[in-house]
Amino acid sequence: MTVKELVDQFDLEVIAGPDLQKEIDGAYIGDLLSNVMARAEKGNLWLTVQGHQNVVAVALLVELSAVILVEDFDYEENAIQKACQKGVNLLKTGKKSYDLACSFYESNI
Amino acid sequence: MRELSLHILDIIENSRRAEADLIKIKIEEKKDSNLLRIVIEDNGNGIAPEKIEKITDPFITSRTTRNVGLGLSLFKSAAESCAGDFNIESEINEGTLVIAEFKYDHIDRAPLGDITTTISNFIAASGDQVDLVYQHCYNENSFKFDSREIKAELEDLSIQSRQIIAWIREYIGENLAEIRGGEAF
Repeated sequence: MTVKELVDQFDLEVIAGPDLQKEIDGAYIGDLLSNVMARAEKGNLWLTVQGHQNVVAVALLVELSAVILVEDFDYEENAIQKACQKGVNLLKTGKKSYDLACSFYESNI
Repeated sequence: MRELSLHILDIIENSRRAEADLIKIKIEEKKDSNLLRIVIEDNGNGIAPEKIEKITDPFITSRTTRNVGLGLSLFKSAAESCAGDFNIESEINEGTLVIAEFKYDHIDRAPLGDITTTISNFIAASGDQVDLVYQHCYNENSFKFDSREIKAELEDLSIQSRQIIAWIREYIGENLAEIRGGEAF
């Protein structure tokens, strides 16, 4: 599944979408960036409550397919700018990580 | 990082890569003024003024293996996310000073972690090349460890040898327990 298809299917909001054709391979949930750096895998979606520019750096480093900011938190402006420059997809949702993850699971993501 | 000691390890590894041969770490736990302060000073190559302004920007790094550098960025966010403060100053060929302050009882403040292991592992890996001064204050109490003083007593033995590292671990562990009056981290 591509990020574009995910956005349509789960009604996610695209905040920065420089590369929505990226293929998704699994998901990781966490808010401690160093741990995400160590444990998330290439192609993962990343569900988090963090919205600052370090998030974009981690997503770039691990080559994640997209970041999904949950619970209606907002990205910081410089994070959005960096994401557009570096080709990192930033999405958001009002749902909690658990609920979103459950719906992903039901769709075999 | 789950523990502040891991941030400290990250910073002193930066110092080592910057060819410092003396690193000074000072940790102050001032519970009365609700403050935890970590100060790390080295005499390494330093960072140019045009780079220092952007040093905590994760897209700036001195590494060539990747184009994202997160060590200082993560340390800065760790401090700022618990009502603290972060500062870095540097001078080329003089060295670098990093100061991170945390509100001691902030709920998001990571625990200090296993500082004994951080210090002793660093010495076990790099003690011959890099000297380390580690001072720890807990309210009014403090103690200081200085690898140069250990080396002066050692004669032919390397500070990186196993029995010396074991002794250092024990020394730091006992002193920390003493200044903290047996209180857990």
